[in-house]
Amino acid sequence: MPDPNGPSASDGGAVLRFRDVTKTYVSSHLGRTRTVRGVSELDFEVRRGEVFGLLGLNGSGKTTTFKLALGLLSPTQGEVSVLGLRPRDPRALAGLGFLPELPWFPGFMTPQEILRFYGGLSGLPDAEIPGRVARVIERVGLGAAAGRRIAEFSKGMVQRVGLAQAILHDPALVVLDEPVSGLDPLAIKDFRDLLVELNAKGKTILVSSHSISELEKLCHRVGILKDGRLARVLQAQDWSGGLEERFIETVRPAGGAA
Amino acid sequence: MRAVLLLALNSWVENLRNRFFGLVLAFAGTVLYLSMLLGLLASDQEVRVLLDFGLGFIELMGLVGAVYGASTVVLREMESKTVYMILTRPVERSSYLLGRYLGLMLSVGGAMLIMAGAHVFMLVLKGWAFRPDYCWAFLGAFLKVLVTGSLALFLALSTTSALSALSITMIIWSLGHFLPEIRLMVRRFGSDSTLLMAPLQAVSWVIPDLQLFNLRDRLDLPAGLAQCVPVGSWLVYAAGYCCVWLVLSSALFKRKEF
Repeated sequence: MPDPNGPSASDGGAVLRFRDVTKTYVSSHLGRTRTVRGVSELDFEVRRGEVFGLLGLNGSGKTTTFKLALGLLSPTQGEVSVLGLRPRDPRALAGLGFLPELPWFPGFMTPQEILRFYGGLSGLPDAEIPGRVARVIERVGLGAAAGRRIAEFSKGMVQRVGLAQAILHDPALVVLDEPVSGLDPLAIKDFRDLLVELNAKGKTILVSSHSISELEKLCHRVGILKDGRLARVLQAQDWSGGLEERFIETVRPAGGAA
Repeated sequence: MRAVLLLALNSWVENLRNRFFGLVLAFAGTVLYLSMLLGLLASDQEVRVLLDFGLGFIELMGLVGAVYGASTVVLREMESKTVYMILTRPVERSSYLLGRYLGLMLSVGGAMLIMAGAHVFMLVLKGWAFRPDYCWAFLGAFLKVLVTGSLALFLALSTTSALSALSITMIIWSLGHFLPEIRLMVRRFGSDSTLLMAPLQAVSWVIPDLQLFNLRDRLDLPAGLAQCVPVGSWLVYAAGYCCVWLVLSSALFKRKEF
């Protein structure tokens, strides 16, 4: 369970910062142009050493927010910075690890082969890669399965490989999109423990999940997205065991069902 | 450069260990074997028919693999989310594209080489005396595949679907074999009707001259044709064309949002 107060901005500043960020998608079909707002006027920061959760209904803008942070999308308006740099700056990317929702790896490969590949792409020196791979495999609890093919793995084990590739290069910020999606309760518990341990070792974590109870157990702060806007940012002491209620009262339309 | 090599090698290993790759090779082997029946229909020209059909088939298989692979590589990696795990590392987008292209071409080239080995073996069994011209004809076919593959990659990034990229590439591939005729038309009628000929003139500059690499048609010339093959100009022409399409593809890919 994290410290309910969490790290403050004075602990070393923001690792990720959104300043008045709006993303509009423009598509045209048969001469008709359609614009859709992904997110509007997002303004928040993720502080060094904290676990920040993003919560929202489907279509609320969580994926767009993540993609903006990862440099996979560019803001239409406003500014995003990762470690004080533009998200697509190679120095920012070197300090970032990302686990997508339900990652896929070729079934014939072993975790060792996969991690060696991603280690090389992360810019790790060749001589350093085998040692790092072995350590991170142990850290995510796959030591006994390191030489087995991914095709033989359960969903939870694949997710651990996904986490291993995200932390292999020792990034300052780890971004996790729905990390416990599709996992059984035991795998969820193991995964949560891993994230708590990572955070205890100084990693800043940005995580999205539909599992309110997981965010409640893991996060120092939670941002609630509604219709592409950051409706509310809650600190751990604000929800004190009742994050679900805070979430529902935030996203439910006045006088109606969510 | 390291990222390019890692990505190329990764693509190559993935393709090599892909079940589909084995199936394609098995299919190609069967068709090449069955082509011996075709040879029986033209008993006086048996070797000639086998030579023509085999080389044509190898080129076609290479072309299908390269065009399909290049048209779908980014799309497939977006679906599997692999592209997100790669582009959120300090990897230039142009390196990603070049690495995947080289890996694909390495796989296709390898498959064509295996098919050519089987083809030569069958021809020798039929009493054909190996000629170096075969190697040049094979090189010409591979260069065609390289050029067409780079074009397919560009079209896949500039059109809205893989299907349209595939269709347009195949149209350009067909036109590329008639380029000398198109150029002749422009020369003959250009002065009479400038308005009509202007699009053809433009087409003759944009479309690659694939007939240039078509040594297959000349394999029945006397032995020693190899001395007349302008390999240097082939390589320069193919490299130039591939570079143009790959640079344009990189420019598009840098602006691509995911």
